[in-house]
Amino acid sequence: MEFDPALFIGLIARAFSFWWIILPAIVLGLIVGAVPGFSAANTIIILLPLTLALDPETGLVFMVALYASSRMGAGIPAILVNIPGTAGAAATPLDGYPMTQQGRAHQALAISFVSSVAGGLLTTVMALLALPWLSKVANYLHSVEMIVVMLFGISLIASIAARDTLKGLIAGFFGLMVGLIGADVIYATPRGTMGFLELYDRVPLIPALVGLFAVSEAFVIIERQSIVTDAGRAQYDQSGWPETWEGVRIALSKWWHIIWTSIIGLIIGVVPGAGASIASFVAYQQSKTYSKTPQLYGTGHVEGLVAPESANNGVTSGTLIPLLVIGIPGGATAAIMLVVLQYHGVTIGPALFITSPYLAYGPFAAMAVTYFLMIPFIMPLARYMSKVTVVSTNYMAPLIISFTLVGAFVARGYVFDMYLALVFGLIGYVARKTGYHVAAILIGVILGPLLETYFLRAMKMSQGDLMVLFSSKLGNLLWVALFVSIAMPYFIDWKRARQKQEAPAE
Amino acid sequence: MTQDKPAAQPGAEHRKKRHLGGDLIIPVAGLVFTVYYFSTILDSPWTAQVSAFFVGTILIVLTVIFLTKAAIELRRGDADLHAGAIAEPANLAGTRLILLALTIGYIFVIQFTGFTLTTFIFMTAAMGLLTRGKRMGFVVMLSALVSVAGWALFIYAFKTRFPVGPFERLMDFLV
Repeated sequence: MEFDPALFIGLIARAFSFWWIILPAIVLGLIVGAVPGFSAANTIIILLPLTLALDPETGLVFMVALYASSRMGAGIPAILVNIPGTAGAAATPLDGYPMTQQGRAHQALAISFVSSVAGGLLTTVMALLALPWLSKVANYLHSVEMIVVMLFGISLIASIAARDTLKGLIAGFFGLMVGLIGADVIYATPRGTMGFLELYDRVPLIPALVGLFAVSEAFVIIERQSIVTDAGRAQYDQSGWPETWEGVRIALSKWWHIIWTSIIGLIIGVVPGAGASIASFVAYQQSKTYSKTPQLYGTGHVEGLVAPESANNGVTSGTLIPLLVIGIPGGATAAIMLVVLQYHGVTIGPALFITSPYLAYGPFAAMAVTYFLMIPFIMPLARYMSKVTVVSTNYMAPLIISFTLVGAFVARGYVFDMYLALVFGLIGYVARKTGYHVAAILIGVILGPLLETYFLRAMKMSQGDLMVLFSSKLGNLLWVALFVSIAMPYFIDWKRARQKQEAPAE
Repeated sequence: MTQDKPAAQPGAEHRKKRHLGGDLIIPVAGLVFTVYYFSTILDSPWTAQVSAFFVGTILIVLTVIFLTKAAIELRRGDADLHAGAIAEPANLAGTRLILLALTIGYIFVIQFTGFTLTTFIFMTAAMGLLTRGKRMGFVVMLSALVSVAGWALFIYAFKTRFPVGPFERLMDFLV
């Protein structure tokens, strides 16, 4: 797996020859990414007859292009209507939506697109070059470390998304508890299912996403005439192509920010199961920590939008690394790719890079070309899609409710899932109105089953000894980081309060 | 740059209280759910219990801290148990409840009448409610257009598994 420049150029040239399958995949990916409930994974499943009929390389290029473009599409509704298309875009509305409310939707979309394309392109090339080294990251993280990484994820989201860290932590752990609903993995004992057979197989994520973000938002936005505030409307009416290009310029001026936050995404993407949702929040938090203007985060700050969008596109290439190197998919879409490759009799592992280099390195080259070919599609989108923000909420709210509830139905075909989405919608409504951030609950629901899997594995290995949680050096280092991240907001509040007390005396 | 404080007004001792009623819903719901969850695993093997006890215990501790803080605020008179933001603005409370009822009706009916017809009826009713019956002609046209476009894109073009009813069956027969 050593780097060969001739192979690299050959790979890119070969990936360009697949333009005929990449372009429709981009259009499809942008659409399915933007509609909550229609994830890239679901779409690839729906289109399995097509991908299985294609030869493995073409099928893989199609899936990769769809995956990368859907990641970008997910940011569009997150910015325009405060509804992330997928959980990976859950941190995008934190600053993207306030920009929309201020009438800067064109600019926000342009910033998001540039960050996504630049972050995705950069990390894809980096992944291609650093494949042998990056693949080892996953080897250092065992059950104990993964437990701490997940708790770390919850605490980060709690401190970022909610106005009050305690409320954020309650929301996150409430989400984790809900994520533990279902039959236990070993003895299939039903737990917390309230007698519903539909919950034996865990709480489905799409109804949770649809309810917490879309349904709750629909019940909140009816308080306003349109998504854009009255002051923002004047700004919106005056804006046009110059604002879109200004967004591109602003995003490009944050090139260093794009680079390091997308690298965060790439590294987290390599860890199986961690995913884009954690990466985008970690990148957001790191961006805020090192910013000269942390107080502006959450008010429509450019860096607060650049960080999660660069990071979640960095994850896209990261998830393919463990898939192709050690055969462990980094996420749901990568898992489906694994199934398709296995159907074609492709054996995944280090040997693939020697026996079929075009198949092994090809997905990364295809991803780079996808990001490149996306550019002419997305700028007109920024200009025209932002019009949705000035549509009256009297029309938007029923549209959001009906289409997203049906999206909750699609994955499993149960009407129960629509009721479940409504229940999550009510929880989300209460959370939004009382300062418990919906993103913290959703990330909890996502991480609940994963946390349980790693927790059980650690307990099995230690024969029930809880001290195993503190048995590894890396794990202990992560525990310290976790406690510091929880304590830090309280310490900062205490310091500020003390400064305020001392101020009048000066 | 110091300004003289205004003279105390009668009744100024009644500071604006924080409304905690709404804030308590999620912690209390979490607490109740955790207790219920524990009740379902008491007789289970330890593998089914261990992670729930780990997560649930942390949630209970966090909730107790929150409730203690709330109790202190209530005792000091800094807060009350009003619902607060959840019920605001008051003039929209009725509309919101009717929209919720329409949504429940939409989910119940869609399994019998399918996506297109139910979406058309729901959108007409919900938009009519929110616009207070203004521009009903436009509302009906928009609802019809959106429902048929949804059918064309998701059911006809993408073959997505949406709830099927008489309209979808008829179109399946015709197209």
